Amino acid sequence: MLGLGEGAAGKFVSQRTQEQVRRVTVILTALLVAIFVSIPVYVMIAIAFQPSVTTFRGGQVNLLFDSFTFDNFVLLFTETGTPRYLFNSFVVTASSTLLATALSVAAGYGLTRFEFRGKTMAARAVLFAYMFSPIVLAIPLYVIFFSLGMLDSYFALTLALTGISAPFGIWLMWQYFQTVPIALEESAWIRGASRTRTLWEVVLPVARPGTIATAIFSFSVAWNDFTMARVVMSQQEMYPITVGASLFLDRVSIGWSETMAAAVLMSLPPFAIALFLQNYLLQGFNVGGLE
Amino acid sequence: MSAVSTLQGRLGEFDEKRLLLLAMFVPFTLFFVLVWGVPIGYALGMSLFSDPTGAAEFAFLGNYVDVLTSELFGTALWNSIVYALSSTVLSLVLGLGLALVVNRKIKGGNALRTMMIFPYLLPTLVVIFMWTFLLDPNVGAVNQFLLDYGVIQEPLAFFSSTTWAMPAAIVASVWKYGSFAFFILLARLQAIDPNLYERARVEGASTWQAFRDITIPNLRGAILIIILVRGIWMFNKFDIIYLATRGGPLDATTTLPIMVYELAFLGSPDFGGATALAGIMFLLLAAVAVVYFWAFKPEQEVTT
Repeated sequence: MLGLGEGAAGKFVSQRTQEQVRRVTVILTALLVAIFVSIPVYVMIAIAFQPSVTTFRGGQVNLLFDSFTFDNFVLLFTETGTPRYLFNSFVVTASSTLLATALSVAAGYGLTRFEFRGKTMAARAVLFAYMFSPIVLAIPLYVIFFSLGMLDSYFALTLALTGISAPFGIWLMWQYFQTVPIALEESAWIRGASRTRTLWEVVLPVARPGTIATAIFSFSVAWNDFTMARVVMSQQEMYPITVGASLFLDRVSIGWSETMAAAVLMSLPPFAIALFLQNYLLQGFNVGGLE
Repeated sequence: MSAVSTLQGRLGEFDEKRLLLLAMFVPFTLFFVLVWGVPIGYALGMSLFSDPTGAAEFAFLGNYVDVLTSELFGTALWNSIVYALSSTVLSLVLGLGLALVVNRKIKGGNALRTMMIFPYLLPTLVVIFMWTFLLDPNVGAVNQFLLDYGVIQEPLAFFSSTTWAMPAAIVASVWKYGSFAFFILLARLQAIDPNLYERARVEGASTWQAFRDITIPNLRGAILIIILVRGIWMFNKFDIIYLATRGGPLDATTTLPIMVYELAFLGSPDFGGATALAGIMFLLLAAVAVVYFWAFKPEQEVTT
């Protein structure tokens, strides 16, 4: 009896201790991760917006934001190829996002609503492509584009980027359409709407969240890409910002301040997405994220 | 009358349905054939010829033998495995820890979640800029910190040291990809019925027991998927390592994707060797994919 009572009390105490230990662990983990994630971002911002003389004063690195300037950005735009690189990035990102999203929505809807032989094969092909290595795809694409004389073209890079982003987009839209009840479409058909009209006026509006998620993932693949652009573009004036700025580290005339300013520019679209569109993005993670 | 109209309706619908079907699958098929089928077939074809872009000569498996027996292959394979395994496991641990924390609905949990999206979306180049700076031997904060606390006597050039280049690349990768595991696990955690924990508490289960018997079984599938998919991606990762170290110093961080790139574009291009290596990586991936399809049957549709 006594033993049993002690055991119960012991358990009670240990549960309280456990609770405390857990609280401390939780807060500590959160803190550590927050520091680990935010320090590099802070360093980037601090260096980009400080005059380089302030940052590197007296042999020590000063990251305390003593003074604020846009000079690093001005230098980036006047002395380097950055404007051209950014323009190239915008062109290929926009076109491949559009292409990948349109393709994904159409294929996703088709795969969900139509039964046909070889559907399992199609699904596996999509998933296989989704796991594929960009560099392994880049080598033959390079040779093919080379022999067609299409290297250094927006078209080639757009196609290559869509190649890596569309498989996940198709997968995402396919999963998404499965959650859209077919009853919605059926009731439109009963009221006499044609299939095409139903598609435009019922299906697409309902599928908007999935479509936006697909667009975000395609966008970030294209905007972040280095591999495909490195292989497909060989002329400097065709480089997107990721390839163009990667050369900064080797150039003596471009210091850390301008490099980090370029990094800030490249981070703006992802930052906007994280801030304003995160819910759509999280939806994408429910069916697996992207490379 | 009504029978006729339904028949007409059906016929009309049938034609329209066919058109729609075409509109959906022609782009899909065209895309897969043009961007995936043709290049992969082309690469596999090229891999059977010596000097395929010049004086091509049929060599059957000659390129494969050359690549497999080259000194670099063993190193690159080993580096790929080390890199893929450690970056995957570390980001899984980080993601799991943080997902458990955020799932407890602590203050600032939402801010933390927003923060975690950011590294994942940042271009790889930006991540490499940050870490090259932080780990720089002259200006880097990490070196300054370690020197101040007497951990090291001399500044370390992480990315250009044969010992530290790989760990440094792994840290940068975990920083970028930890959130992948985090978001998937968080979604899974939030789907667990909270009543289960309540019942376990009532029955006197400790936190650890509840974690072991409720949380882990619910996460098992997600964890396996993360290890598999993230592992494959890290095994095939090119940009982060190329940007950080170009595969160096010496061959300390040369993984298989770096080796493919070097064969194809460095010095005298060897597209036969590069495509043969690509073919080997293709077969490796296919083997893993077969296991994946067999174990998870991911193509099965949700029935709702």
